Amino acid sequence: MATGIKDRAVILGMGCTSFGERWDASADMLMVEAFAEALADAGIAKERIEAAWLGVALDDQNLGNSAIPLATALRLQGIPVTRVENMCATGTEALRGAVYAVASGAVDVALALGVEKLKDSGFGGLPIRTKGATNDLWMPYGSAPGTFAQLAGAYGARHGVQAADLKRGMAHVSWKSHQNGVLSPKAHLRKAVDMDTILNAPMIADPLGLYDCCGVSDGAACAIVTTPEIALALKARADLVAVKALQIATSHGWEMQYGAWDGSYVPGTRQAAARAYAEAGIRDPRAEISMTEVHDCFSITELVTMEDLGLSDDGRAAFDCLDGRYDRDGAIPAQVDGGLKCFGHPVGASGLRMAYEVHAQLLGRAGQRQLRNMTCGLTHNLGGQPSNSVSSVSIFGRL
Amino acid sequence: MAEISLKSAAGYLPLLRFDRGVARRELRWNGLGGSGKGRRAVAGWDEDPLTMAVEAARDATARATAESVVFASTSAPFTDRLQAGVLLEALNLGADRLAQDVAGSRRAAVSALRLALEGGRSTLIAAGEKRSTAPGSAQHLGWGDGAAAALCGPGPGVARLLGAATVNVGLLDIYTAVDRGIPYAAEDRFVRDEAISAVCLPAVTAALQAAGIGGADLALAVLPEPVSGIWRAVARAIGSKAPNLCEEIALQAGDLGAAMPLFGLALALDRAIPGQKILVAGFGNGADVLILEVTGPGDGTATAALTQGAVLNSYSRFLSLTGGMDLDWGPRSEVNQKVAATTLLRHGRDMHGFVGGRDAGGNVQFPITPIPVRPDATGPEPWQDVVLRDVPARVASITADRLNFNPDPPFHFGLVQFDNGARVVMEHCDTAGRDPAVGDALRMRFRIKAIDRQRQFRSYFWKAAPVSRPDLPQEG
Repeated sequence: MATGIKDRAVILGMGCTSFGERWDASADMLMVEAFAEALADAGIAKERIEAAWLGVALDDQNLGNSAIPLATALRLQGIPVTRVENMCATGTEALRGAVYAVASGAVDVALALGVEKLKDSGFGGLPIRTKGATNDLWMPYGSAPGTFAQLAGAYGARHGVQAADLKRGMAHVSWKSHQNGVLSPKAHLRKAVDMDTILNAPMIADPLGLYDCCGVSDGAACAIVTTPEIALALKARADLVAVKALQIATSHGWEMQYGAWDGSYVPGTRQAAARAYAEAGIRDPRAEISMTEVHDCFSITELVTMEDLGLSDDGRAAFDCLDGRYDRDGAIPAQVDGGLKCFGHPVGASGLRMAYEVHAQLLGRAGQRQLRNMTCGLTHNLGGQPSNSVSSVSIFGRL
Repeated sequence: MAEISLKSAAGYLPLLRFDRGVARRELRWNGLGGSGKGRRAVAGWDEDPLTMAVEAARDATARATAESVVFASTSAPFTDRLQAGVLLEALNLGADRLAQDVAGSRRAAVSALRLALEGGRSTLIAAGEKRSTAPGSAQHLGWGDGAAAALCGPGPGVARLLGAATVNVGLLDIYTAVDRGIPYAAEDRFVRDEAISAVCLPAVTAALQAAGIGGADLALAVLPEPVSGIWRAVARAIGSKAPNLCEEIALQAGDLGAAMPLFGLALALDRAIPGQKILVAGFGNGADVLILEVTGPGDGTATAALTQGAVLNSYSRFLSLTGGMDLDWGPRSEVNQKVAATTLLRHGRDMHGFVGGRDAGGNVQFPITPIPVRPDATGPEPWQDVVLRDVPARVASITADRLNFNPDPPFHFGLVQFDNGARVVMEHCDTAGRDPAVGDALRMRFRIKAIDRQRQFRSYFWKAAPVSRPDLPQEG
């Protein structure tokens, strides 16, 4: 009987570059920058790393196929290096590979690194991707905001939330993240924006305006994980963060093709969350989760996610958000580092960036952003589009 | 062998109607804006002669099928690809039917109709036009985009052929060369004189003689005119008081080229009563003239097409949609949209015909997959074809996307829920004038899915449109 990975892998060190328009850096430079910080934080020699996972989502923009670019950039000599890709959950997938390797006993020390160099595309937003030679015959070429915007109409219809209330709740999501971004030195966007500006911004995909959408960024983030025994031999328990749960749920076509889904929530997030809570031993997430870093690619996504994670009642997230529950001084702070909205969204790095913030908060390293009474942090990714998605829910806590 | 009669005729126009007055005002500085009277039908960016012909053919074949199909157009997107074959797939008529493309003259559809009415098998003739013209030319404002279809078959129908005649005359009122791509016109006065004396009057006279009736017996005429006044002169000469419906169509939608005579035929059937005689002519380097006796009602599609739509008041959007202005859409438009011939062979029938499947548990899905999406499906199952084209559907989710490239933004797309249980993520079309909302009823339209601008190929699929169109306002 599987018992999960709770407390079977420990984060020994983490690193994260500044996110943003890194005109100065190519992907290999970003990888080296994040790795150098993680290695220094871990306090070990590079040679102790026995296996590595590289997360890159959009290979045509930066590195090309395979894990060779990571091995080459870091000069990882002779060890197994694997590339993973699972859309916006890519960084978390890289971490999952490293954690599973350690938890299984296959290796003692493993590396997870996520990177994305998006700003070489020559335009804003994600690169335009085809859906594959067969799907292109019929699937629309919708943009990311276009696919996520559809949550809003379905959510409003399901819960009877008026469009104006939903728009204000969504605006508060972005307002809060901009407030947090100001305090986040490595964030892409570090400017506060008022509610009126957010509410009156140009429309990108109805009803998502400019400030309802995160941008895309360059950046890399990195984790070095090991066993609890090795970690405790190297560091004090108070300086260690353990992985409590790491769960992924992937659409199998039900939402997009079957007709039973009303489009107002993301089933994969609910499935991953239920399994993650069970794996971590969390019975009351509203009481036990100290903070979240959720996949706020669009403001409506954050609202729906709070319900999918069980942190808000169905149909109430917009009002909880307006009441300040997810503000930095609220009951369950979210996106304390600015989130995807302001810290940035280099796709392959984002899952690890979220873990980086939770790690920093748990260890009391978050400076002006530091939260009190941190015991447990949750990260969440939502890749693809709500009707066809990859959801990840990870939980971190003290060893 | 039963006599072949006309079983049905249908007309289709795109949603948008450009107000010619806008061009007259915009081009006042150069005097190239024409009379400013009436409107011109403008195809959506994702419509071409084939997609519009499919729409007309859907109506024409609503109650009967055809053993052979003909696609007629002088502006067909391909010169070496059987578009009638795509038409067959879109109509789910079966791969064993005789399929033929005809082109080379605006007369092509009427020539094919004559052959069908004088032949021995049921035939669908579907004509569509979206002709390239240069801004400033009379054709840019005078011609319109549209389609029409006629179905011929054995036994009684809505009209029967009384007589026909053909004359071939090398009158170059206008020609379009492949290497030039846009039409070149001769002087109007020369064209009018010769079209009357050398083409139309001889052909009409011979057709009436073949039918055994006189000009006074005609109730309605459908005679496309390269310049105005031709029918008026011919009618005077043959003693007819029948109005030429092409004048009305040209005013409200523009000259529809190869589709014009069949569109006029559909409109004539809407207006005529059984027993009346109508004249249908195809004009171009001569003429084919048919004399028909009406034996049944029209289907109303041509009348509806003329009265429903959305007015286009932007000259720059009109230019963009008609190829008169090549906008730089930026790097987001550079996506590679190559269509693999291999995938088209594997999936073309299902894509063009909107053929999904019913699994062993009764659930309908599109496209079919090795293992059905039904949650209790455990492995591959046999599929039964289900055509989704005419199944009622509603908006399940929707947005107006302004980020990704679309030649006529915004780009509406979302989940569509069909009444038979199928759910498909689809593009929407014809949304001008009404924004789709969750729960709105939809109908499916055959459209261009993507244009590969590097290789000049286009793929076709179905899009969701509002179930009805708004009524056009009266012209002010």
